[in-house]
Amino acid sequence: MEPIIAIRGVCKRFPGVVALADVGFELAPGECHAICGENGAGKSTLMKILSGVITDYDGEIRLRGAPVRFSRTRDAERAGIAIIHQELNLVEQLSAAANIFLGREQRTPLGFIDNAAMERAAGELLAGLECPIDPRIPAGTLRVGDQQLVEIAKALSLRTDILIMDEPTSALTEAEVARLYRVIERLRARGTTILYISHKMDEVFRLADRITVRRAGRHVRPVDRTSTTPREITGWMVGRDIAGHEFHGARRRGERLLEVRGLTLPWPEHPRGYRLADVSLDLHSGEILGVAGLRGAGRTELLETIFGASPPTWSGTILLDGQSVRFSHPREACAARIAMVTEDRKRLGLFPDLDVAANVSLCSLADTLRGGLVSRAREEALVAGPIRSTGVKTQGPHAAITGLSGGNQQKCIISRWLLTHPRILLLDDPTRGIDVGAKAELYQLIDRLCRDGLGVILTSSELPELLTLADRIIVLAEGRLTAEMTRDEATEQRIMEAATTL
Amino acid sequence: MKPPAPQARGWLLPRHELALLAAIVVVFVGTGFLDPNGTYFNAWAESRDIILRNTALLGIIALGASVVIISGGIDLSAGSMVAMSGTTCALIMLLFAEGDDRRLVTVGSLGIAAGVGGALLSGLLVGTLHTWLITSIRLPPFVATLATLVGLRSFARAMCVFVTRERWGSESQQIQVNTPAFVWLKEHNVVISAVVFLALALLTWLILSRTVLGRHLYALGGNEQAARLSGIRTENVKWFAYCFGSLTAALAGIFLMADSSVAQPNAAGRNYELNAIAAAVVGGCSLQGGVGTVSGTVLGALFLRLVIDAVSKLIKASADIYEGMIVGIIVALAVTLTQFGQLVQAGGRLFPGLRGLAAIPTIAVFAGLLSMMGSANVEALRGRTVPFGSAVGLAVLLLLSAVRWLEGRRTA
Repeated sequence: MEPIIAIRGVCKRFPGVVALADVGFELAPGECHAICGENGAGKSTLMKILSGVITDYDGEIRLRGAPVRFSRTRDAERAGIAIIHQELNLVEQLSAAANIFLGREQRTPLGFIDNAAMERAAGELLAGLECPIDPRIPAGTLRVGDQQLVEIAKALSLRTDILIMDEPTSALTEAEVARLYRVIERLRARGTTILYISHKMDEVFRLADRITVRRAGRHVRPVDRTSTTPREITGWMVGRDIAGHEFHGARRRGERLLEVRGLTLPWPEHPRGYRLADVSLDLHSGEILGVAGLRGAGRTELLETIFGASPPTWSGTILLDGQSVRFSHPREACAARIAMVTEDRKRLGLFPDLDVAANVSLCSLADTLRGGLVSRAREEALVAGPIRSTGVKTQGPHAAITGLSGGNQQKCIISRWLLTHPRILLLDDPTRGIDVGAKAELYQLIDRLCRDGLGVILTSSELPELLTLADRIIVLAEGRLTAEMTRDEATEQRIMEAATTL
Repeated sequence: MKPPAPQARGWLLPRHELALLAAIVVVFVGTGFLDPNGTYFNAWAESRDIILRNTALLGIIALGASVVIISGGIDLSAGSMVAMSGTTCALIMLLFAEGDDRRLVTVGSLGIAAGVGGALLSGLLVGTLHTWLITSIRLPPFVATLATLVGLRSFARAMCVFVTRERWGSESQQIQVNTPAFVWLKEHNVVISAVVFLALALLTWLILSRTVLGRHLYALGGNEQAARLSGIRTENVKWFAYCFGSLTAALAGIFLMADSSVAQPNAAGRNYELNAIAAAVVGGCSLQGGVGTVSGTVLGALFLRLVIDAVSKLIKASADIYEGMIVGIIVALAVTLTQFGQLVQAGGRLFPGLRGLAAIPTIAVFAGLLSMMGSANVEALRGRTVPFGSAVGLAVLLLLSAVRWLEGRRTA
């Protein structure tokens, strides 16, 4: 069968970097083709070329046999290619219907905008996607899973027959993931070709007909799903076999650092009324406490409340070394030697205009002072230690932080906090959006810190991660603590049951 | 000089500052040779003083504007703050003057200290008010300082009228200030304001690039939420930024009052805030926050004033008529030039599609009209202004059309 898209010898260079080198592969009509690869492997560059965002590249793209070169995103849309980005592209203030028809608004015979017709059409599209929302409500108020379906509905209204999805499940709940799978099946039944980018093996093996692994800008190989295994694919992705890490042997649990009792955080504007209800936990030095829970279960809120970053309306007690504390600002938590690595690196962690050294030294600038002024030499000396010990790969302390990969950025942020000499380290989903190889390095780093005597609270949206790292696991469901188990008792099955019991 | 700059650094100065420096030299030398009166040669001392005084006045406010902009905010109120500060200073001194002294000649050193102190204090108070409106009431900085931009000037005028009526029994919209110390300040204004400007620039540089507070300002402007979660007291950093912005404007207000020997709340400092923001932007500050340098702002202010001076010399028109246009064109050009490389690299075009087509005659008409008005001041073209303007307009039209045509071929 003639391929619907054929990519031959596509290269893209940015100043100093080859983002894509000699890419070539073909998509057969109606297939679901998965692309796996570590972050920085050129996936997003490839997508930008296919969607007309990047226009100057070498090589050739053929669409249904004819060579094409998109000079803007509209061209790609017209050719029937749509992309569902990881970060969704909706105008939050506009209604779902207005978003779906943005730029192609329907009009009444008098030339005025025809909201009724668009809302009707949007409603039908969304109903077909198992998304029974009111198309008139603002997109910003929808859940992430529903927002994604609004984007898919938009793609469908564009008569898309090639749909590119970039890690579409990264922000979804289990139920939303299941719904997305059904939607994908339905699209395939209609003959839509799907390019599915992900590094989650279970998804890839569930959905894809063929799998292409990319590493450092090059294709390793396209294979049929039936002729490979997840382990083989992850091996290709990192270029080596990663053994399952076993860390929890022989950690030495020390004295009790933190004691949380009956923590309740109200949520007045929500029908549930609370973000956290009656949560209690203990943390000792030299142990990793895992916090499991679905998205929205209150994992981040729990860490933020301990760290003094939540609204001061919470009740309950937090004891640090047996002393009751109530931080009203993260600064006070820092002073009490608590550190928090936030969930969303780009939004809550990085300073894109500051260089690597300044990003790392930010919380410990007091240690760089000479005569009351920040000494650049001292700063460089200060950050050199953690940059080396956490294994940040950077050209130097004055490189741009935005030029580092996600894993290295995360190591910089951990370095920032290590310089504050914390006793308690709060890690909120630290490996989100980080590729497999860097994950393994972060696991080793976290384990080492724990062995050095830190008490670590770790949340994660991936259960295997918690099972790998944590000594004990507590499970949150809708803001309530529903289970606490030791690592030996914990299984994915048991955690998932506790996370979904209400 | 720019601590947290991942961008390209040149030798000693970053590339942006070097480009500005080159532009300054070009404008300066160009004006010197093109000026038919040769003012820079014949009356160098006078020209130098005008440029220095105006640059210092603009630069002092621009330094404050830069700090606010780097912290991710904006302060639109500087011009009104200039009026407020001068008026406050004069009114306090008025209270120390003898009853029938309407020229404030009799104010003693205590009165002067109180007046200057009160003016600076008014800056601190306004900065604090801004911070409160922004951090506690959660007004956007644009709205909060827009309110004070409109409100402060009116407040200063009301104060002026009130105090003069209470004191003298007759209302006055302005106050003469002929206090000996201020007369002396006026006589030495150029040197003193230039020295104060440079000292303030040095202080600002020290704060921004060598102190913890400075680093926190960049962090706040770059990513406010991350700054808070890193334990930075963002409200306090903002407090500093807005107070610094208002204080510099207050300082400039005292100099302006001394220079003109009169406190005029109605007229003093009008549009200064926009020129100051323009100088900061020309100097490389990003209105997104987190980016900017003191050296850039200083050079930006100098560049703006030099060009305004050059135009007033070359076309012998009064500078204030053309000032707005010059500032507008320079700001647009400066930011365009810094982004030009990216634009071309991204395969972007200057005149894409219908919009581009419509922009070309618009620019040509503006260029033609401007040259027509400008040529009226040139001896050789007198009486032929209309054909000259039309010729320039036509030339621009053809030139830009050629650019558009070439662009089309390049991207096709």
